[in-house]
This record gives sequence, structure tokens and C-alpha cells, in this order.
Amino acid sequence: MADAPVSTNSNPPPLVQTRGLTRVFQSRAGLFAKQRRLAAVSDVDLDIPRGRVTGVVGESGCGKSTLARLVLRLLDASSGSVHFDGTDLASLPPAGLRALRRRMQMVFQDPYSSIDPRYSVHDAVLEPLRVQGLALDEAANRAKVESLMAMVGLNPVLANTYPHQLSGGQKQRVGIARALALQPDFLVLDEPTASLDVSIQAQIIALLEQLQADLGLTYLFISHDLGLVRYFCHRIVVMYLGRVVEILPDPTATPRHPYTRALMESTFEPDPRRRRTVTLLHGEIADAFNLPAGCAYAARCPQATQRCRSERPALVHPDGVEQGHSLACHHPLGS
Amino acid sequence: MALLEVRDLSVTIGSLQPLDRVTFSVDKGSILGLVGESGSGKSLTAMALMGLLPLLGGRVSQGSVRFDGTELVGLDSERYRALRGRRIALITQNPMTSLDPIQRVGAQIDQVGILHRGLTAADARARSIELLTQLRIPDAATVHGQYPHQMSGGMKQRVVIAMALAGDPELIIADEPTTALDVTIQAQIIQILVDLVRQRGLALLLITHDMSVVAQACDQVLVLYAGRIAESNTVEAIFAQARHPYTQALIACIPRSGQASGSLRGIAGIVPSVASYAGGCRYHPRCSAAQARCQTEVPATQVHNTHRIACHVATAGAAHG
Repeated sequence: MADAPVSTNSNPPPLVQTRGLTRVFQSRAGLFAKQRRLAAVSDVDLDIPRGRVTGVVGESGCGKSTLARLVLRLLDASSGSVHFDGTDLASLPPAGLRALRRRMQMVFQDPYSSIDPRYSVHDAVLEPLRVQGLALDEAANRAKVESLMAMVGLNPVLANTYPHQLSGGQKQRVGIARALALQPDFLVLDEPTASLDVSIQAQIIALLEQLQADLGLTYLFISHDLGLVRYFCHRIVVMYLGRVVEILPDPTATPRHPYTRALMESTFEPDPRRRRTVTLLHGEIADAFNLPAGCAYAARCPQATQRCRSERPALVHPDGVEQGHSLACHHPLGS
Repeated sequence: MALLEVRDLSVTIGSLQPLDRVTFSVDKGSILGLVGESGSGKSLTAMALMGLLPLLGGRVSQGSVRFDGTELVGLDSERYRALRGRRIALITQNPMTSLDPIQRVGAQIDQVGILHRGLTAADARARSIELLTQLRIPDAATVHGQYPHQMSGGMKQRVVIAMALAGDPELIIADEPTTALDVTIQAQIIQILVDLVRQRGLALLLITHDMSVVAQACDQVLVLYAGRIAESNTVEAIFAQARHPYTQALIACIPRSGQASGSLRGIAGIVPSVASYAGGCRYHPRCSAAQARCQTEVPATQVHNTHRIACHVATAGAAHG
């Protein structure tokens, strides 16, 4: 699998391509219990186009954070491939991978745990440069840190403060400044606003939008909030229990998968005239250690039939839907 | 008639005053949304209503809290204990802080019925299972015998709601009950709470920082900023014609469907800590409409029908228009 997959359209090839990407975790329910097998990510084919924001949305446990780590090879895949700008990540020796890492960075959910508490903001922002052997003399370092802090809207006087002196939003700005330090072209944003107040969330999203436009960055944005994803992303990938169930080619596309529809109906609008009708569900998310043979969503799906419970639907592009819109469902909505 | 009537409630902790003359009421069968960012005094209000301020070293320094005609400020701890968990219930953000990790959840729900309603163990158990079933928990009898660690976050939050309901309360205070949950589970929990209010005529004080939750669930809205009322009104009026710049900014933090990219703003800066409140209107350092007067003069609360507002800029505009 050394060759990059051939692109099927005339656009420039995607920056990142995954094919059959799968990650399996083994664990035991107890010390002497039998080994259990959990496929956190199963058979994911994903194209991440250059200079665009691709959103991955799903609930806790759907495998979206595992996917983020696989794409950066912070985790090794059990099978399948990840190509970054035509290079197969699995084929790279450690030195080559490290060089490529300058081009791909991650912003984590919890700004508290992604920064060493003993590092000042200056040290934290400079750390990626030090790790890559790119740090310079003191004056140049200070200038670099100041320019990065200015980029993310942090007052440079904060350079000598420590994480505990910063607010949650400021810490996340430090996390973004760190990610930008090596001038990457690809950022994976793993729920960067999930632990922030909505007022701060909106600030951080506005900052990320502006950086994306100014620097022409490519983002993979991981979130459980479909409302936010529909606002922020150009393309939306919906995951359920480790698999991609629908890909929306643009944020205004009408969801055809019942799960995407359920996610949409769970996303409230800031407008009392547009209240959602929430259907109370009896079903629970299927046990990830013991997935059913058919569609994993069948247990919660109002449309589910016998076929759904026995035969897993493949992710396909059905007739009559927009170019680039794929879904994995035997009974798509509105057909 | 209002079941809960709070008038000019102020709270002090040591020399600080984190809550300053807050007034609101909650009717039977209705939902009041108490909204603001972290640090605006929402949870403190909940603690004050529950009579739990001594746990924080705080006390009510002024004002009154009347519940069904009874004054709660100054009520002795014995009588407060008889109300708490029985007629007034609290649902907290993190279900793990409300659940004992080493006790089966069923026993914890039963306890409320036994303690507060004098039920026998068997009756309490039957009632707990009935409540769990009403909260759409599949196979409630099995869940009754499980431990918290065996459950998902959404399931635990339903157990906490069942515990709150086991005392058959008239008022529920829900402090960010869905903040830690996935959106689908959040939608389910909010719907369950709304149904309870509509079907049983409960009063609900719903504390949240999320204006989309307010829009979905509430009848009335009270916006707090840095321990003071910014604005309150019916939910329709708040969203159709918010007058306070802070209310407008909070609503604008949530992207609407179809909103153009690049148009989301957020609110610059952060809520100040109680030790460093600004003079005048406490919101003025973050307010895009602030004038000289906002820096020095505390805006008085103006009341007009259902609308309460404390803002120099908004009320000056109203006088002319």
C-alpha cells in the first residue's frame, strides 16, 4: 500500500486520505475475564480536502477522537492506510514521520491537560519549536512567541504567566498558538470548545475561522454538536459506533440518514419559535464490545426493519442525491 | 400564583457580595430559565434557595425567599431539611456528585421515598421502578439493582432525576442538568423535564449558560451578570426583542441554522471574579454600547409589565422611542 489512492475527480487531490482505516482495542471486563474486542474505528474511507473544514460529528464513543489520532498517527491503525499529501504515514521511518509532523498539528479538548502546568505561556508556545530543534536565540524566540500570541488574540504581556492564571478561553488560545508554532497546513481540532462556556466557544470558533481563512489551513474538526459543525464546516462526516453513516457534501444538505436526522432534531435553535419536537427514545446505544450483525443504529432507529438488524448497510452514493453525498442506510429518509 | 417568590436576594461570603438584589418568581407548571456565563451567580442562587449557603461559608444578607407562602430566609435547619428533597429538589450538573458510587442506584432512590414520604421499603422500591420506567429507562427493575459505574452518563442523569422525583416535589431546581451530556441525551433529558412540568404542574428553575436550551424549554428567562439581574422577560420577548446588550450577546453566541460563516462573534473578555467587579454597570468593560455613565452609575432596575432591565443605554433609548 505504498501508492497513494488515485483521486477520482479533477479537483486537486485531498490533503489527507484514509482507506479502510480500522482500529481495534482489546480489553478485559475483569482480571480473569475473557478478552473483549472493540472496533473503535471500522473501515473508514475519508477524504479531507485542502483548505477546507471537514467536520466529524457523533456522540461519545462513536470513534471520532480515535479517528483524529489515527489520522495524525498518534495511534497506529490495526489495518487500513492514511496518506498525507500522497505519503503513506505507516511507511515512514520515525525521522520522516517527525519531519512530517511539522505540517500536521492537533488542538485538544482540554486546554488544562494539554499544557504542562510548570510551563509559562512563553515556554508552552515555544515547546514545539524546541522539540523540532527549531528554537533560536532568546530575542528571536521572544519575537516568535509574541507574533504567535498576537495571531491568537493573546496579549503578549501574558507570556510570563502560568496556566493556572489563565481563563479557559485563554488556555485554549495558548493551545492554538502551540499548534500554529510550526506553521502547519493541517490542524486536527478535537472538540476544542467542548469544555468552554458558549460565549467563549463563539470567540474561539471565530478565531479558528479567521486563522483558517488567513492562513489557508485545512481543518479536521471533531465535535458532538451538529449545530456548531453545520455553522463551521464545509463538509460533514457523521459517525456512529466506529463507522461513517453519512457524509454531507455541504452544511445545508438535507440529512438522509435517520441518525443524522435525530442529531439534527436534538440540536436546539436559539429561537423559541423554532422549538424541536423531541421524540423520546426507548433504545440505548448498542454495546460497542458486542455490536449487532446489522446496522448498529437499528436498536434506536424508528425506521429499522428485519433487514437492518441482519445486514449491515454499506456507505454508498445513492441515486438521486447530490454529488458527494454518501450514506449507509437501507431505508434513507425522503426516498 | 407564584410558588416561589424571590425578592431582592443578596448573598455575602465573607466580605464579598457575589449576589446582589436578585428578584424573580416561578409559577406552578412553568419553567424559568436562569441564564448567564460561569461566574454570574446562577449556582449560588440555587444554593441560596436550597438553604445550603453555610456549606460555602455564605449567608443571605438581604431579601426574601417565599416558597408557597413560607419565608425560607432564616428558617431553622430542621424545617429546611423537611423541605429539601421533599418539596424542593435539586438536580446537579454532574450526576456522580449526587450518586453514591458504592451503593446500588435503586437503594439510593428508595431512600428518598422512605425518608421523606414514610414509605415502606417494598413500596419505595415499587415507586422507584415506576419512576425509572416513566423516565424511559428500559428494564427498570434491572437498572434498580445496578451501580452507577455500570451506567452511561445519560442513564445516571435519569437516575438523579428519579431521585429528585421520589420525594414528589413541587419545585425542581436543575443546575446545568445536561451540560456534560451528548446532544441527543441532552434533548431527551430536557424533554423529560418539560413533560414533567406540563403533566404534573411542577415548577422548574432551569439553570443554564446555553440560550438554545432556554429557547427550547423555558417560559420565562432571567439573565444574570456578575451577580446582578441584567434582564428578565417572557421567553418570546427575550428572543424577539432583547434590550440588554448582554442578553443580545448571549443569544448571538449560538449559531443559527443557515448562519453565514464568519459572522459568529462571542463576547469579548470574561466574567470578572467577585473580588474585582467593575464600578457602575458590571458589564460595561465588555459592553460594545457602553457610555461614560455606565462606568460610574449602577443602572437601576426598570420594571415594565413582564420586563425587568438594568441598563442605562437600553432604558435611555426606550425613553426616546
